[in-house]
Amino acid sequence: MDESASALLPCRPTVVMVGMSVLRSAAAFAARLTPLKPGSSPANLLTRAIPRTDKAAIRWGHGKKMFVIKPSDYYDRRFLRLLQYYVLLTGIPVAIIVTGVNLFIGEAELAEIPEGYEPEHWEYYKHPITRWISRNLYDSPVKDYEKMMAAIQIEKEKADMRLTQMEVRRHMRESGDGPWFQIPTLNKDLIDNSPKASPDN
Amino acid sequence: MPADYDKDAYPEPPRKTPVVDKQTALPNPALILTKVFYYAVDLPVTTFRDVVDSIRSKNKLVYYHQRFRRVPDLTECQEGDYVCCYEAEMQWRRDYKVDQEIVKVVQERMKACQQREGDSFLQNCAREIQQFNDVTKNYQSRYGDLGAYASGRKCLMKQKERMMAAQARAW
Repeated sequence: MDESASALLPCRPTVVMVGMSVLRSAAAFAARLTPLKPGSSPANLLTRAIPRTDKAAIRWGHGKKMFVIKPSDYYDRRFLRLLQYYVLLTGIPVAIIVTGVNLFIGEAELAEIPEGYEPEHWEYYKHPITRWISRNLYDSPVKDYEKMMAAIQIEKEKADMRLTQMEVRRHMRESGDGPWFQIPTLNKDLIDNSPKASPDN
Repeated sequence: MPADYDKDAYPEPPRKTPVVDKQTALPNPALILTKVFYYAVDLPVTTFRDVVDSIRSKNKLVYYHQRFRRVPDLTECQEGDYVCCYEAEMQWRRDYKVDQEIVKVVQERMKACQQREGDSFLQNCAREIQQFNDVTKNYQSRYGDLGAYASGRKCLMKQKERMMAAQARAW
């Protein structure tokens, strides 16, 4: 009936067809949203509940088991596992030792140096682990000081020797009567002076 | 754990809490809270500390304050005597450290005074503030801009510059 009515309209039939089909799809959409069953009158449409046929019943139970597809996290978890292992391998013993030392031995207390007593070099530190390191692993600061002064003295002596050697070299070159810079020449006694009138001719 | 500070050094003013004169039968919430805090936090912590101290008291350690002999200064060393220069440099470094600690102690005193006095610190702490200003000014003039590679030699040159500037001003 609509298509036949379009022949009587003043505008083009194709545009009318498009308009008709748009209206039809809108009516179908509206019918989907609010389905009207036969046996329902407009009067009780608003009052009764409308059963929807396009939605399934939802029951919140265990849930459907899904196979989630994602990239492998084996390498990441392996890295973190190994990191944890190797960090804790030395971390836990160190933590236990340090906690034990702080709890059971405790830090030293400041005291006056008794008369006539020379404290050892580790007895100048407060924490027991510092004292242990200073006693067993390090040289005493006095020894380090002396080592440094010995190194400086050796370098000073080397520098002084080099300066005197330069001075001596200068003198030897200038005057030429020292043991250095001697150029070997032939023996004078080997020269045959018999054909010569004077030794220099 | 380090010992608490000497309470006689920075004496607190006497407390002025009034005598309790309860006139209601309702419990005092502040009292309840202090008792809860005492039994839940203070008592366990104190007993733990006492236990640890009793274990620690069996291995008591002492440490001493090291005193260094004075050695000839950089000005008293000969020209090529590098060993003497080294000893003078080490002594200067120790003195630098000591001066830094002195500045810290004076600063601590001023901070403690300000904390004690509250809002009227500018008036009541004037002596500490003046001392701090003097000490920092002297420290700045002596060690001020020497930088990270400071040495006794550079400090000596800075002193020379200071003396030259003072002499130029005197003219």
